[in-house]
Amino acid sequence: MWSGSELFAEALPQLAAYIPITLLCFAVPSLVALFMGSLICYIRVGKKNLLYYLASLFVSFFRGTPGLIQIYLFFFGLPKLVAVFGIDINRWDALIFFILSTCCNFSSFVSEAFRSAYLALDKGQIEAGYSIGFNRWQCFAQIIAPQALQIALPNLKNLEIDLLKGTAVAYVIGAMDVMGKAQYIISMHRGFGQIWVLLAAAVIYFLITVGLELLFNFLTKRFSRHEGVAA
Amino acid sequence: MSLNYAFMVQDIPVVLAALPRTLGFALCAYMGAILLAFLAGICILRNIPLLKQLVIALNTLLKGVPLMVQLLLCFYAIPYLLQGLDGFLGYAYNPKNPSYFAFALVAFAFNYGAYMTDVVLSSYRAVDKGQLEAAYSVGMSAWQGLAHIVLPQALVIAIPNLTNYFIWLFKASSLASLVNVFELLATARMSTANNYAILEGYIVAAGIYWLVCVLAEKGFALLDKKMNKFRHDLPTA
Repeated sequence: MWSGSELFAEALPQLAAYIPITLLCFAVPSLVALFMGSLICYIRVGKKNLLYYLASLFVSFFRGTPGLIQIYLFFFGLPKLVAVFGIDINRWDALIFFILSTCCNFSSFVSEAFRSAYLALDKGQIEAGYSIGFNRWQCFAQIIAPQALQIALPNLKNLEIDLLKGTAVAYVIGAMDVMGKAQYIISMHRGFGQIWVLLAAAVIYFLITVGLELLFNFLTKRFSRHEGVAA
Repeated sequence: MSLNYAFMVQDIPVVLAALPRTLGFALCAYMGAILLAFLAGICILRNIPLLKQLVIALNTLLKGVPLMVQLLLCFYAIPYLLQGLDGFLGYAYNPKNPSYFAFALVAFAFNYGAYMTDVVLSSYRAVDKGQLEAAYSVGMSAWQGLAHIVLPQALVIAIPNLTNYFIWLFKASSLASLVNVFELLATARMSTANNYAILEGYIVAAGIYWLVCVLAEKGFALLDKKMNKFRHDLPTA
């Protein structure tokens, strides 16, 4: 037999071994969302053509339904969808489905954060950029992006932390991350001592969240280092 | 892609029937969260020693751990607590019918209460200090100043945040289906148990969630606009 604290001590290193996978679940959607979010944002601040409405529909769906359902839809729906084209992805790891669905979900949220930051920008800044002969790309890279990123950063921080905590749901489709491993350990103990295993998982998630918080505080400081000079 | 469309149509009323229950769950959790946030806000704003530090530490923990983990912890731990309370003040522990609804409610109320504490604090601080001083200067008591002067203004400031949190809570309530709460998503899953049309059931559920969220967002935006007329004379600083 084991005591609670023993189980806690036993589970902690086992769960910690799966931190890289949880970080993968977190990092891939974060990076993808930077590109896809900017792209969607670019489409949605532009002219109202077909692309605009499609992007709006995409954002509305992924923001308006629970992440849990999106994971299920990708897990059960995507294999059926690509089977039409004769591709078999039934054997793919559950992790891939989770990452795909989270990429779409997170891109929608990030695109909204970017959009509100873009709308908060002083339009005179962009005009000033053009007036000194910048082309569109220079204007974006030198004027829009640095300022918009600074405005979006506090929002982005909350979203990233939510994303990290959201990865704890991946176990429902059988993905093996920290939470998946925790569930595995729980089932190995035939349903005893769940609380201790979950507490170990909670400790790990808490430490990662704190790390993320510190990272973003550093970034916020760095991006606002010119504050007051350029105002 | 072959879907069982006939089943989807027939599944809509079945899943829709669970919507009042789901909204009720979300509303209960929301009320609990507001109450907790209010109490936590008072502890922090009044600078009550020890209690303030305790609340801040608890909020940090609640915000740093995934809601899923908290739900499972409540799911497993609360029965033990109740068992410990057996015989206390005439309470009889009944292991046969654990109230999973209430267990999940506790997790949601505490988790969202932690987030909404920030809303309480920020909207209280957004009200100009002079307002309270003015209330004191005309002879109002501390309670009168709070109830008649600060709270109405703070509420108007807090409304966009509060409504956002409700939509988030409503969406997050789908997680409760994993801890035996029989809400919308669990109903959708159960309704497909006879014919393996799992995907169809989830599509129906997703459609309902989407519809409710879009409607709620539109409704809350309208409410927010209506509130604007109380805002124009607020100090901008």
